[in-house]
Amino acid sequence: MLTRIWLTYKQHWFETGAILVVCLGLTAAALIEAFRLNSMNVPFHCFQNWQGPYFPGSGQPVPDAATLKCNNMVEGFQGIVQSLDMNLVRTLLVFTPILGGIIVGAPLVAREIEQGTAPLSWALSGSRRRWLLGKVLAGVLLLVPVMLAVGFAADVLQGADSPGLNTHAAFENYVSRGVIDVFWALAAFAGTFALGTMLGRTLPAIILALVVCFFVRVAWEAAMNHYVLWPFAKSDVSFIANGYYVGQINIPLYEKVYIDGKEATDAEVQAWYMKNQPPIDVPSQDPNATPDPNSSTAPGQLVPVVPAQPAVDLQFPQYVGYGIPGAWYWNVVALESGLLLVGSLFLGGIAFVWVDRRRPY
Amino acid sequence: MGSDAGVSTTTAALAAHGLSKRFKKKVALDAVDLAVPRGSVTALVGPNGAGKTTLIRVCMAFERPNSGRVEVDGVDPWKHRSDALKRVGYVPQTPAVYRGLSVEDQLALARSLHHGFDVAYARRRLEQLGIPLDQRADTLSGGQAAQLGLAVALGTRAKVLLLDEPLANLDPLARREFIQVLLDAVKSDGSTALLSSHIVTDVEDACDRLVILGGGKVRLDCPLEEARRGHRLTAADSPPAGATAVGSFLSKDGKDVMTLWRLAPDDTAGAEPGQESEAASLEDVVLGYLAAGRGTAGLQLN
Repeated sequence: MLTRIWLTYKQHWFETGAILVVCLGLTAAALIEAFRLNSMNVPFHCFQNWQGPYFPGSGQPVPDAATLKCNNMVEGFQGIVQSLDMNLVRTLLVFTPILGGIIVGAPLVAREIEQGTAPLSWALSGSRRRWLLGKVLAGVLLLVPVMLAVGFAADVLQGADSPGLNTHAAFENYVSRGVIDVFWALAAFAGTFALGTMLGRTLPAIILALVVCFFVRVAWEAAMNHYVLWPFAKSDVSFIANGYYVGQINIPLYEKVYIDGKEATDAEVQAWYMKNQPPIDVPSQDPNATPDPNSSTAPGQLVPVVPAQPAVDLQFPQYVGYGIPGAWYWNVVALESGLLLVGSLFLGGIAFVWVDRRRPY
Repeated sequence: MGSDAGVSTTTAALAAHGLSKRFKKKVALDAVDLAVPRGSVTALVGPNGAGKTTLIRVCMAFERPNSGRVEVDGVDPWKHRSDALKRVGYVPQTPAVYRGLSVEDQLALARSLHHGFDVAYARRRLEQLGIPLDQRADTLSGGQAAQLGLAVALGTRAKVLLLDEPLANLDPLARREFIQVLLDAVKSDGSTALLSSHIVTDVEDACDRLVILGGGKVRLDCPLEEARRGHRLTAADSPPAGATAVGSFLSKDGKDVMTLWRLAPDDTAGAEPGQESEAASLEDVVLGYLAAGRGTAGLQLN
């Protein structure tokens, strides 16, 4: 089997080489960008106190030397974050796992059919499924390590890009970094080699896979939020501990309204307002709200809840946000990776059934 | 006219029983009965579109028959594909070489795919022909690529070799070398070969049996020598004694209509044919049967 895997790489030397070069190059680029950000050593309080650039003569109070230094460092940091090369690296980190899977998967079967080697391969092998298994193993063994490297680099870059953020307890860009990258690549790979098996042509398989993957990737987060994560949503209240809620990034899903501790419908809320007309509208508790630049807190820090009392005790309609807490990062990643893996196995299964039935030309 | 030469299908290396295959409305094989005896080298001859490739593809389980069945060394490839394919060495119509792989890599791949593939045997055959093992397979000449395909098929040490028009794109020298290697291997291994071609002169020196396929039907299936001795050719409609007309076709110079006659079985053993008849070449035999298949018997010149 090892010989066959090695010869599969030689057979598809261009794709193999391209994936290795692009993925390892991208990994290196992401790590270099992260290193550039980290090496600036911007103190954390500089981010917290930063009030935007200072323009002399603008009427702004003149910052002291320490603040000016801080501001300069933050501006330098922001310059890198918003630079063209950083944006390019970020974009590639999003799409490379899918593109890698497509590029490796499309020619796996289709090229043998196009080049007329499938009849010989199938005649020699006897079992087409065993033949396909050897090729699939080669693809998987190529994709898993390189996509792990890409995912790791994306994680590191996310951490450098968002100082103070625990990347494994926050959902910022979580679908395009870390271990889930591997499963994106495997899903794209399985889908594309299934298409290649059915169509018997490499280019149409690539084009079709690109279209399908684009829509799947775009719709993924919305679909996950509304169909998969929705039942697991927890209320803000459950984040409260000792009068504080943890200000981690999470996935906001929906809000519920409570009146006197009971869940109320829209009509009941409207009726309540019509009846009581409260003089002051109390803002809802939203742990996802953008941190106040004047605040001395940052993501990942403990933030005082105002008011620091359970919502159910309040006597007016209380809007409670529901979502997925950042602490569930690994659970969510495992769940979504599992779904991608199931999808990969399903699509791969189609290819294994199809290859047994199709003509080799 | 199917398997009529006394070959029992139970002893045949390859047998077809009422085999039919259609592609939409086109009939590729029409109730084909065939028995290729063990140890023979059988020429499967017919024009383009006669069904030769389809017959071989059915034997390889690449195509599912609409009715009937085939047996390769006694195994139905559609029901027991893996088992059947273990018994077959296959040379496809166009040389199947994996681009980017060297000749040695091709042999290594064949070994990894086919249990029991004899790399040393295949390598020896290629070395005898002076084909460099480290050369990339896609840079081989047409003749070398065909020899590589044959070496891979022989390396399987299969009992049955199915060769789908392997000579079609070869120059005369390469054809001769190919045939020679094939004959050597068949003699030394005791295997059976079915060699398809649309040009009878390509295969007449190599084969000991002839199957003519035309319009999806077996037109003739008999030993090569019997095909030669059992037919006569005349330029007129006067039949040799006891002969039946097979088909008519234009002579090489295009001036005459020639008629192929099939002699009665007794006459093939030395009975005097009609005075105006001449011995039929194998090409004439094939042309006569193909003309019959096309319904051109009785062709008249203006």
